[in-house]
Amino acid sequence: MSFQLLLLISVAAGFIGAMGGMGGGIVLIPALTFFGMDIKHAIALSLLSVIATSSGSAAAYVRDRLTNLKLGMFLEMFTMLGALTGAWLTLSIRPQALFFLLGGVLFSSAAVLWARRREEWRPADRQDALSKWLELEGAYPEHVTGETVAYRARRSYLGGPLMFLAGVVAGLLGIGAGALKVLIHDLVMGLPPKVSTTTSNLIIGVTALSGTSVYLANGLIDPGLAVPVILGVVGGAFLGTRVLVRLPDRAVRMFFFCLLLLLGTEILIRGLRGA
Amino acid sequence: MESPAAARPRTSFDMDTLVGTVLSTGVIASVALLSIGIVWQWIAIGKLGLDYTLPRINVVRFISGEVLGMLHEGFGPTRFVNLGIIVLMLTPYLRVLLSMFYFILVARNYKYATITAFVCTVLTFTLFLR
Repeated sequence: MSFQLLLLISVAAGFIGAMGGMGGGIVLIPALTFFGMDIKHAIALSLLSVIATSSGSAAAYVRDRLTNLKLGMFLEMFTMLGALTGAWLTLSIRPQALFFLLGGVLFSSAAVLWARRREEWRPADRQDALSKWLELEGAYPEHVTGETVAYRARRSYLGGPLMFLAGVVAGLLGIGAGALKVLIHDLVMGLPPKVSTTTSNLIIGVTALSGTSVYLANGLIDPGLAVPVILGVVGGAFLGTRVLVRLPDRAVRMFFFCLLLLLGTEILIRGLRGA
Repeated sequence: MESPAAARPRTSFDMDTLVGTVLSTGVIASVALLSIGIVWQWIAIGKLGLDYTLPRINVVRFISGEVLGMLHEGFGPTRFVNLGIIVLMLTPYLRVLLSMFYFILVARNYKYATITAFVCTVLTFTLFLR
């Protein structure tokens, strides 16, 4: 695959991913494999680029005081171990199975997007002992209303182990698995959407690093291919976040819902045809 | 409800600033190194793109190889590209490492110092994976 084509695919993936508040991986892997790249190499490259996009956006969110650092550091213990497990699974699994799994994740992400279309967050009235001991609470500035929103996380005893599974998906498929993480943060731990999205972003960096180390040790990181992918995804994400501000939320969600269904169907069909 | 973050004093140096600075600097440095590598190659041979692969190697070997190469053989496009990949991979690692020291030395929060030390230990193990 030529440098220019790889760069173009990666810019598009980074752009679309950022527009939907996701990493580029969910678009990048279907696109790279469509143009003939082996799925395991595509997964390894995608996971490496995820470190760049997540760190870039996490830096801005942390400075805006939206991210809960303590929560992130507690949860990344689990996602990191999950990603190591996931990456090892990828090395031993048949490529066809990876297509099915990726298709499944794309459909589940579409379902999460649909389920969260009328999100309404209510602060948790009670906090369990473990979450309290872990000091999992905070407040963030809401720019629209100018108010400070206070929150307390709950059920961290359940959130942690579930995040292990999100880490497995991330390491296994080379994606940030943001939709899955946000779902756990929202539904299980009762966090406000802004905090769950931004904290998930912070966690992804460490998660992706542990998976990438496994892929590097197994010769799946090809620097010649990594350069256009990293530069393209970072550039695309930079542009995508600027467009996102101008587009109505509803339009972005609808676009993404359709895109995820389309990519999921395409990947599943390729899996059925024997990749 | 009390709002701990709002009550938190916004000093010139705190955990958010530290983490934010480490992450943004790492990504910018990595993108700069990769760009230098690719532009150098383009100028040298008139073709975009590098065509080389890495052997099965762990992160620590990869880093030590590049540092030794830098000292003995100097710089070239592939050196910059490899350094760019190394800087990118070390960015989240450095974030965890500095957070751990922040929890120990500045915040004196030993609960989170232990949590970050665990994350740091496992990440260090992954850097030695073969």
